[in-house]
This record gives sequence, C-alpha cells and structure tokens, in this order.
Amino acid sequence: MSDKVIHDPQAGIRPAPKPSSMTREFWEGAKQGKLMLQYCRDAKKFQFYPRPVSIYTGKRNLEWRQVSGKGSVYTYTVTHRGPVPFRGIPPYVIVTVDLDEGVRMMSNLVNCEPDDVRIGMRVRVCWTETGEYQFPLFEPDR
Amino acid sequence: MRDREIAIVGYSETKIELRSGRSVFDLAGEAMAGVLEQTGLDKTVIDGLAMSASFSDAGNPFQGPMMAGYLGLELNWTQTTDMGGGSVTGNVARASAAIRAGLCDVVLVLAADAESTENKGNVGLWRTEWQFPVGTMGPPGYFGLLSTRYREQFGLDDNALAKLAVTQRNHALLNDLACDKLRKPLTAEDYLNSPMISSPIRMLDCVMVCDGANAVLVTSTKRARELGLKKMVHPVGYGERLNFDEANPLPDITLGGHSVAGPKALAQAGLTQKDIQMFHPYDDFLIAVVMQFEHIGFCKRGQGCQFVLDTDLRYNGTLPLNTGGGQISAGQAGLAGGGHNLVEAVRQLFGDAGARQVKNAKNALVTGIGWIPYARNWAANTALILESA
Repeated sequence: MSDKVIHDPQAGIRPAPKPSSMTREFWEGAKQGKLMLQYCRDAKKFQFYPRPVSIYTGKRNLEWRQVSGKGSVYTYTVTHRGPVPFRGIPPYVIVTVDLDEGVRMMSNLVNCEPDDVRIGMRVRVCWTETGEYQFPLFEPDR
Repeated sequence: MRDREIAIVGYSETKIELRSGRSVFDLAGEAMAGVLEQTGLDKTVIDGLAMSASFSDAGNPFQGPMMAGYLGLELNWTQTTDMGGGSVTGNVARASAAIRAGLCDVVLVLAADAESTENKGNVGLWRTEWQFPVGTMGPPGYFGLLSTRYREQFGLDDNALAKLAVTQRNHALLNDLACDKLRKPLTAEDYLNSPMISSPIRMLDCVMVCDGANAVLVTSTKRARELGLKKMVHPVGYGERLNFDEANPLPDITLGGHSVAGPKALAQAGLTQKDIQMFHPYDDFLIAVVMQFEHIGFCKRGQGCQFVLDTDLRYNGTLPLNTGGGQISAGQAGLAGGGHNLVEAVRQLFGDAGARQVKNAKNALVTGIGWIPYARNWAANTALILESA
C-alpha cells in the first residue's frame, strides 16, 4: 500500500458514512485499515453490501472475514460534474471493482490519472479519513 | 389480460414544468379533473386509487388516503406503489388485478411529483454509506458506469444515441405539454457537443427533472360499456421483474429484468416483437432505450445501436418511439415520469395525438424503469402492452 494518496480530487470532502446495525463490523474494521466482508457459511461465498441475511440462502448463518482488498476494475466513469459536495472540483474517477473474493464494490480510483483507467486493471484498496471512520478507496496495484 | 376484460377509458397529463412551485396535490388534482372532463364521468364512479410514491411527498406514510381527501374521493381500495418510474405501468396491472378480484370497479391510476420544486426523498442506508462518499449521488454516475461497461462489451455508437436524442426532441416540438425549456430544435452535433457529466454520459443523455402529473382511468370493459364510454384501450399483456439477478454478487450489468418482463408481456398478449406498432420505453437515459431494444428482443444483445440506426423511429416511421418526446425531451415529472410514456401511448391509440398522430397503430408497448440499486443498472422492470378496442 502506498504511504499517501497523491491524486484524489475528493480528498477531505467526502461525507462521513453513518453505520447501521448491519454494518458496524465493516466500519470498525475500516478504522484499522482492514477490509471486512460478510461471508455466508452455508454458501461459502462473500457478499457486499452487508445485509441482514445471506443473499444466497436467506438465512443468518453469516460471519465477518478480512479480505485482501485486491481486485480488478469492472467498469468506471470519470465524473466532470458531480453532486454536492463535489461540485466544481477537478474530474474524479468512480469505479466498480470485482474483488478477488467474488464481490463487487463501488468506490473512487485514486493515484491514477482519469485518462489511465482501464477495465480489467488490477487495483488494491487504500484508505482515506472521513469523520471518525476511514473510507475504502482503490489505487492501481502496480 | 388477453381476454380484454379490462379497459383504460381515459387519460390526462399536465404541462411538464421546471420548478413550478406547485404542490404535488395541486398537480394531482389537475390530472384527475382532466380525466373527468375527458370522460364526462362523475367523480363518484371512482372507487379505487392507485398512486405512485413521489419525492415531493416522501416521508408521508399516508399518501393514498390523504390524496383521496384532497380529491374528495370515497374509495373501496387504494395502494401506493413505490417502483419509481415503473409505478404507473405497474399500477395498471395492479388496478386490473384489484378490479378482477372484486375489490373495486373504477380505478384512478394517478401519479404526481414536483421533484424539481421540492424533494423530500431520504433513502439512507447503503446510499449514505457507500454511494454518497464516492460522488455518484445522482443517476448520471451510474449510467456512466453502465455505459463504459456496455462500450467495452459491445461498442457504443454515439451516432445511434444522437439519433435517439434528435428523434425524441422532434417529437417534443410537436407536444404542447412538453417542458418549454426543452422545446427547442436539436441536432446530432448539439448532442455530441453537449457537456460531459460523467463519461461517457453527456448532458443530453439525461432527463431533466421537472414537475408534473398524469392519470389514466381503469375499469372493466363491462363497466365501461355500462357507463356509456366509447373510447377505450385494453391492457393485454404485462410483465414485471424486480431486482434481476439479485443473488449474483458479480452480475453482468448490460443485462436486465426487461429480458424477462418484455417476453412475458408479449407472450401474454400473443404477440411477437415484430407485431409491436409503437414503442414507448421508459427513457431516463438514452442508453436505457438501446438496452431495452435488446432485452425485450427487438434485436440481439449488443445490436441495439445498429437497430436504432436501421429503424425509422419517427412518429410517421416504421416503429414510432416515444412520440410525445419521451422524458428526455418532454421533461421528467419526478417519480411520476413513467406516466408520460403511458399516457402518450393511450393518447395515440385514442387518435388524439394531433400533429404527431401515428397512423393506423393498433397496439403499443410501454415500459417502466425504477430505482437504481447498488453497483447495478436498475431494479424495477415493467412492460405493458395495450391494444385498441
């Protein structure tokens, strides 16, 4: 993981997440730089976003596991005109990433010029401060 | 539905306006009064009310009874449907089911929203946790993600998107109810040169959120005849699919629930894609129109742009498309927007479309799209087929 985020037009202005009773483990892990995902013990598969039940079985035989945070870009968009509070900042990159553990997450790609992002490129999670939590971003895994 | 036991006997639509400053109840009242005037019916025949949840009145868990109060209606049945742009088409099916079940006789399918004046929507949960911090609060970010993926898998022809933009704009120029701000001629170059919002989504790929209301009146064909009504169209096929592929954590977002709902509606109506004489697809973004051609089976997957380029989609063409301008060129009346496409289809089948009247069309396919789920395309998919009497 890189020591610092070099290119992140949204740094410092992302609204802080508000955890719910279903997502505390995710955000507590995030405070320590750990990417925690729900795992269905019956289906032996991960899921994201966190839910009250397994999307595979409808049951509650779930646990939390730390994952690698590595994956590849499924798709992306370069946002030129964002919503509040991102109005008027330079273009930023939104990606969805297929993690190696088999779930898709949406976030921003940082430390990468907007012209350089490609579908399929390898990325890894990195973290940025948002309020009392850290928020997971992705950067190129070079 | 194919038995033609159910009929749509009236329709109404308000002018679509940007920041009208009007209450959603005021707009709804105008839509109901329009239906009563058109049909000549007394309001006391209405005993069912199917509403669409609105952004303007979000947070009110009593939308149906409160609306009935404002409209002076005494009812045997009401429900508020919350499938966003799929609600109005969905409500035609729900009203039909309620009538068949004997719960009520005459249902006002009503949608009103003044989202550009007031938006009280507050969805929360994963949106505040994993979407808002990322900066894709609005749908253009999602459709940017979808378009990039589509382009990677199939190629995305800007000329096809430009053709859709121009075709629908030309239709809006013939529609007095379309938002005035959008009733200006548009060229393919205007589309291609419009500002990039969230690549590859340009400003002219998107709807403009406005205010407005619309209504259709649904009853049994038998009751319609008893009431002396002559003009009617019949819903003859309906399909609905919510949360397509939900248990797949890595879905192919270029595929969606219209691939189920569309063929189901066609099969119920006893029709094939080639039999469809007018297409009024929900159009929040131009690429959604391209994808619906594919999902419903007008062409193969990945061939949507070529189909657009090869087909005359004008009101006087071979497959008239969103002849009122669609939401992209008439304006999107918030979560009531799905009713624009439906009302235009009924208006056409009634022969009331004036300068943009489609000649000899006996059926129409209308679709709905609603709710954008996390990192996917859209959740609610509806397809409704109407036939003239």
